[in-house]
Amino acid sequence: MEQKFTGFKCKSCGRVMYPKHDRCLDCKGTEFEEVELGEDATLLTYTKLYALPEGIEMPPLVLGIVKFPGGVRAMGQLTTDDPKIGMKLRPVWGKLRKMKDREIFGFKFEPLK
Amino acid sequence: MRDVAIIGCGMTKFGRLEGKDLMDLLAEASLRAIDDAGAGERDFDSVYVGNMMAGELVHQTAIASALVDRINLIPAGAERVENGPASGASAVKNGFLAVASGASDLVLVAGGEKMTAVDTDVIGDLVSTMTHPTAEYVHGVTLPAMAAMLTRLYMERYGVTERHLAMVAVKNHANALKNPYAHLHRECTIEGAMNSIMIADPLRLYYACPISDGAAAVVLCPLEKAKEFTDKPVRIAGFGHASDVQTLQEREDPAVLKSVQLASQQAFKMAKLEPNDIGVVETHDAFEILEIVQSEDAGFFEKGKGHLAVEKGVTALDGELPINPSGGLKAKGHPVGATGVAQIVELVWQLRGEAGERQVKDPKRGFACNFGGFGNNTVIHILERGW
Ligand SMILES: CC(C)(COP(=O)(O)OP(=O)(O)OC[C@H]1O[C@@H](n2cnc3c(N)ncnc32)[C@H](O)[C@@H]1OP(=O)(O)O)[C@@H](O)C(=O)NCCC(=O)NCCS
Ligand SMILES: [Zn+2]
Repeated sequence: MEQKFTGFKCKSCGRVMYPKHDRCLDCKGTEFEEVELGEDATLLTYTKLYALPEGIEMPPLVLGIVKFPGGVRAMGQLTTDDPKIGMKLRPVWGKLRKMKDREIFGFKFEPLK
Repeated sequence: MRDVAIIGCGMTKFGRLEGKDLMDLLAEASLRAIDDAGAGERDFDSVYVGNMMAGELVHQTAIASALVDRINLIPAGAERVENGPASGASAVKNGFLAVASGASDLVLVAGGEKMTAVDTDVIGDLVSTMTHPTAEYVHGVTLPAMAAMLTRLYMERYGVTERHLAMVAVKNHANALKNPYAHLHRECTIEGAMNSIMIADPLRLYYACPISDGAAAVVLCPLEKAKEFTDKPVRIAGFGHASDVQTLQEREDPAVLKSVQLASQQAFKMAKLEPNDIGVVETHDAFEILEIVQSEDAGFFEKGKGHLAVEKGVTALDGELPINPSGGLKAKGHPVGATGVAQIVELVWQLRGEAGERQVKDPKRGFACNFGGFGNNTVIHILERGW
């Protein structure tokens, strides 16, 4: 089954959050349901990192903040070397890096065709 | 609450200090502060030590207990205070509260870090562990990366250019050249900064702080007793301390440092003062964009206009509101646990008129902004002459 990027919707007030908090940022509610955030996120800002953290081989590491249609934002690696603010991206599951010989997987963001 | 005075201060030189370990640095700064206060014969009630990561960096824990042993402040109650890179200001805040509440009459606050004990990549990783474990850290997010993303937002939205970052760096390097305690004693030009290596596009080496060792300390007592020690006590007129969500992306507006806004408002309210009343400022410019953003969110300049103040020289040593006369984190250096205390030390020297070549013209009140995490936990102090 394909993995979907999800956020957490507060069952009391409806606010959607990512990452997960144990209490809602608006109403302090404690119950959440997982909801899909969508496929077309917009790039708000980015960087190309040359001082690389452990387990990432090739500079630069391109990181950005994207905004999903409902307004929720996420930070992550971009699969393009040519990011442009405002471009559309979608979350894709893949290998993020190695940490202490362990491979870490998660969502990255890939430009929409 | 009682009025609280700073009656003595001191610091070590900041830099790559080979041959000095963390306890050497903390002891040196503390003894200088105690000496400056003329409190060598006195018994202290409590000791607060700001430090972010001694366990990780130098494999030593319980450093406050070690400090009272080393410089004989026994039997003062001693503890380490950790709040990321704002550990120093958090320690000062704790010292302030201990005296203000009436619980303690004589308090030492020290802050220190020995960062060059490990390699640069290890520091980079340890500092990154402040970020959100699953939403930031595992993705390879580092503090320079976050600062770079904030910088780009500012460039897009407010017309800040790389040249503005370079202007802040040039100013702070020039100030540091007049500060014998500063880490980087080298002139910086606009061209030099704009040609330095790229670390996190659009951030170059000269738009980031170095990795430093160092320590700083202050001695506090009730203002009513300060005259026993000094003719020039500096009063802690107010403090503020506020937090925000951990990740940059989840902030209400990622280009706003809300914890800086809230903590500043608290401090101004407590001090019954306004930004206009401040004559000298120390900001947490671990990255040069932060000096601009903090100067706005603290209330000194309109949002989106901080870079124009830099351009006009308002924040220069001889400007209307000098920012970072010490050289700032950029050039004075940033031994994380020491930074918040060192900012207070600089303000005390400035208010007492003892800042030498970098003396700002006759400031009556000073403002310090120290932040933990990446802007999600801010401690502000406002100081004023107590004489
Ligand atoms: C930018 C950075 C990666 C450079 O580290 P580095 O490559 O190990 O640098 P070194 O210490 O080996 O220094 C190399 C040279 O650059 C100089 N230098 C180091 N950092 C500098 C800086 N920020 N600005 C200007 N010059 C700097 C050194 O003085 C040295 O000069 P020299 O060769 O003439 O003696 C590192 O300083 C860094 O990570 N800074 C940010 C630290 C941080 O995030 N702190 C916490 C923030 S809350
Ligand atoms: Zn809710």
